[in-house]
Amino acid sequence: MRISEILNLVRLNLIQNKFKVLLTSIGIVVGAATIVCVIAIGRGGKADVAEQFRNLNAGALDISYEQAQTSSGFPFGGGSSGGSSKGGSGERPSFSGGNMPDFSQMSAMPSFSGNGSSGKDGKPSGDRSGGFSFPGFGSMFGGSSDTKNSEKITLSTEDMDDITTNVPGLSDATISYTTKQDIYGGNIEETESYTVAGTLSNYAEMSNLTMMFGDYISDSDNENKNKVCVLGYSAAKKIFGSAEDAYDSLVYIDDRPYTVGGVLAEQGTVEAGISADDAIFIPYSTGIKYLTGSDISPTITVIAEDVDNIDAVTENVKTALAVAHPEADFTISDAGSKMEAANKSNRTLTLMLTAMASIVFIIGGIGIMNVLFVSVKERTEEIGILKALGGSRRDILLEFMMEACCMSLIGGVIGVLVSIAVSPVISNFGLRLEMSASGALIALAFSLVTGTVFGFYPAWKASKLVPVEALSAE
Amino acid sequence: MAGEQIISMKNVCKGYKMGTEKLNVLKDINFEVRKGEFTAILGPSGSGKSTLMNIIGCMDTLDSGSYDLSGIPIHDAKEKELVKIRNHKIGFIFQNYHLIPTYTVMQNIIMPLLMRGMDRKSAERECEEVMDMLGLSQRVSHKPSELSGGQRQRVAIARALCSKPSLLLADEPTGALDQSSGTEVLKLFTKLHDMGNTIVMITHDLNVAKWAERTVRIVDGEIFEEEKAV
Repeated sequence: MRISEILNLVRLNLIQNKFKVLLTSIGIVVGAATIVCVIAIGRGGKADVAEQFRNLNAGALDISYEQAQTSSGFPFGGGSSGGSSKGGSGERPSFSGGNMPDFSQMSAMPSFSGNGSSGKDGKPSGDRSGGFSFPGFGSMFGGSSDTKNSEKITLSTEDMDDITTNVPGLSDATISYTTKQDIYGGNIEETESYTVAGTLSNYAEMSNLTMMFGDYISDSDNENKNKVCVLGYSAAKKIFGSAEDAYDSLVYIDDRPYTVGGVLAEQGTVEAGISADDAIFIPYSTGIKYLTGSDISPTITVIAEDVDNIDAVTENVKTALAVAHPEADFTISDAGSKMEAANKSNRTLTLMLTAMASIVFIIGGIGIMNVLFVSVKERTEEIGILKALGGSRRDILLEFMMEACCMSLIGGVIGVLVSIAVSPVISNFGLRLEMSASGALIALAFSLVTGTVFGFYPAWKASKLVPVEALSAE
Repeated sequence: MAGEQIISMKNVCKGYKMGTEKLNVLKDINFEVRKGEFTAILGPSGSGKSTLMNIIGCMDTLDSGSYDLSGIPIHDAKEKELVKIRNHKIGFIFQNYHLIPTYTVMQNIIMPLLMRGMDRKSAERECEEVMDMLGLSQRVSHKPSELSGGQRQRVAIARALCSKPSLLLADEPTGALDQSSGTEVLKLFTKLHDMGNTIVMITHDLNVAKWAERTVRIVDGEIFEEEKAV
């Protein structure tokens, strides 16, 4: 029998049993809709991760230093970092500053510092790395016994140069820090606190920042300690009303005027690094001169030429830094790993949802199988007639298989349409869905496979019926 | 009128297992039908006539003996060959019509031709003449449920004739019909016989068997030739 004629018989049978077909395919409808949504959620999650990490290069390594804090015990045991904020160490007087320490905050006690005296406006002006501490006392009185990271170290451009000179396989390197500063200017009447980032000229390129107006900080701005800044998109809008108005205006950072040399395009929310939209970027050295002094905790960022070589680069960076800082244990975080971790969790979620959809498909398939078994039973006489008239096993097998496949496919198509209809509802729950044609095709393929797999056995049973017995069936 | 042999059965036996015992339904059957004959197989219920019909119709196998249909040894044929023989050589007419209720009259009639691999248009053209002859031309798009018993049996006859078989095999063709419709169908059989068709009709009714030119009786699985009905 011709395939077209078998398909015609299938069509006739399905039309005759429209309601039954619809009910039978409900499992497939749910399964297909779930598959489309799962794929859309997976793609949405992936897009989310890509967006949140777009300011990170996969080969980027962030190197920072965190001074160990004594968890308890005698306040002289080790000391803590002075913090990078303006008020940080100024509000927590060092011993050399002459103020009494607050013993109620023992875990955040300042260290003895040689140059720890407050500078202008109460800001620390000295280099704390020059100070000393008593690590032994720390352990004696219950503090940390680890000598690592007990001293205050501030990463510097010299450290960055050490890395770029001694570590092979790097394509670029930069250093940056952030500090909270009071800002006014433009439309704001009272000072507001903003994140100010001190960066080098290559920061924008390394962090994939794009300009809307003007230019990013230049090398000469950094060398000359120029009072220029680049505003993040949201910061520009909040301070000046619009990015256009912000460009070439003046903004006051810690009461000093800075010319807005550029405004960044909107970057969106980010998972790691500086949230560029709300930040103000200034030259690295300008910030040290006018805002923070050397009381900063900078981060050196290097880019590995070969992403697969990250582990070796990490080890080499540690070795390079160990020369200048033998007692320090630097925190090195690898952007690729963060991205991979986020993608992995996204993949896990997708896998879980796919497993769920597969279960729905299996249940749907069993439903189809049941209905086909009933159908074979109901149509035993019909099968007998077809066999008596010269219908082959192949014809009967194909007819029932095609019926199962068509039922599944109808379910699949309805499922895809349902998924399109419910996607806005799911989006309202905060899940990002990226609908795709490939998702719909996969769902249809799954439906077809389900119909084929679960339709085979009843169809095979039908094809094996003996004509005499089938004809005499009531 | 009698020509070449269409059916040739020699020492055919058939039995079924009933629990531990074997029930011999057909015992050493020797039976022949020649081309163009109209034969009635007459027998009461349980005599084995349906089993004989199933074997003649290639829907059941025999335990021993030989059976040739149009010279083809059916006793040696494989399932695939039997399917082909059923489609090409035999036209079945059943007591309960056995029409597919979801198909139209036309779809039911052309089914054996579709089974052969013919396309629908050609099959419909092929059946036009038979449908005209049986007065079904105005009923092509009706469903079996919309027809009377007599009309349904005519559809079944049309379906059997369309494939131009060597043998028309009718199992109690009037069994489900009232007397007038039954007579109508038997007249049709006579007409088909006159046109040269070979017909084997199974019946339990002597009055129906009288319409055939030859009657054989089957009693307890054994076959007896009867004198030609007058």
